[in-house]
Amino acid sequence: MGLAKFFNITDRNYLDNLSLAGTIGLHMVSSVAVGVALGYGLDFWLETYPWCSGIFMLIGIAAGFKNVYVDAKKLAARQEQENKGKGDAQE
Amino acid sequence: MEHPVTLATLLDIPEAYHHVFYTWCAMAALFVASLVLRRRMQLVPEGLQNFVEIVIGGLEDFTVATIGEKGRKIFPLLCGIFIFILVQNLLGLLPFFDAPTANINTNAAMALFVFIYYNYVGLRSWGPRYIKHFTGPMPMLVPLMLPIELVSHCARPLSLTLRLFGNIRGEEIVLLLFFSMAPVWSTLPSYFLFLLAKCLQAFIFYMLTMIYLQGALEHAH
Repeated sequence: MGLAKFFNITDRNYLDNLSLAGTIGLHMVSSVAVGVALGYGLDFWLETYPWCSGIFMLIGIAAGFKNVYVDAKKLAARQEQENKGKGDAQE
Repeated sequence: MEHPVTLATLLDIPEAYHHVFYTWCAMAALFVASLVLRRRMQLVPEGLQNFVEIVIGGLEDFTVATIGEKGRKIFPLLCGIFIFILVQNLLGLLPFFDAPTANINTNAAMALFVFIYYNYVGLRSWGPRYIKHFTGPMPMLVPLMLPIELVSHCARPLSLTLRLFGNIRGEEIVLLLFFSMAPVWSTLPSYFLFLLAKCLQAFIFYMLTMIYLQGALEHAH
């Protein structure tokens, strides 16, 4: 299984980290999209054009950053656990 | 860009229902495989049973290691999602078939189901206290955190949908382009890469579902 070894897919920790890291980008973008869509819908309904869009866009951006922060924290925790496991194995 | 010759066009199915047809194909493959497996269940597994046991056993260990013992109860759903999406993705690599996940409607249906299900699990296990998952750590910050959390929860099904759709659709388009440039042999190298990418996408969908369920099940902080 040269290919499996090349892509390192037999290592489960590596696979977890890879999939978690791959999700971060879209988490950030989709929050902003949802925020803008919500704001635009509210504006369409209440006829207050710039206000809700702007406010919800800011909320969306904040939510995107919060998502990335949570993901990064999760990745860091997993890395720490992994290092700890390696250290235990070496001792 | 559509496949030149597929089973759905041969059977004269309307264009708007192609992905539904291929979803049924994936379901049929899974049903047949599980019926065959159930008929020949052995104590010492061989062949296909061995493979399926490795996949399901590995996933169950992984789920229980992440969520804890509560994970065993929701594991059938997670495993079903993984295997169903994997088969759907791999269907795109077979000749005469198209991946149903290359259509955004299939993915949106699955992502919305996941969204409703994890909120239901959260509500069932926490009751009215589930609202604490949305209010953030401090009482002072509730007016700020509540809309942020609501938006970020609503963004989850969107990102699940778009990720799977974009990856699988992109791979199908790349395969078609290669095929139109130099038939058959030029697509072979990318088959191996896409085999990995499609497995990875199914795994990502499964893992995100698991992370959302874990967030709904564990204590808010």
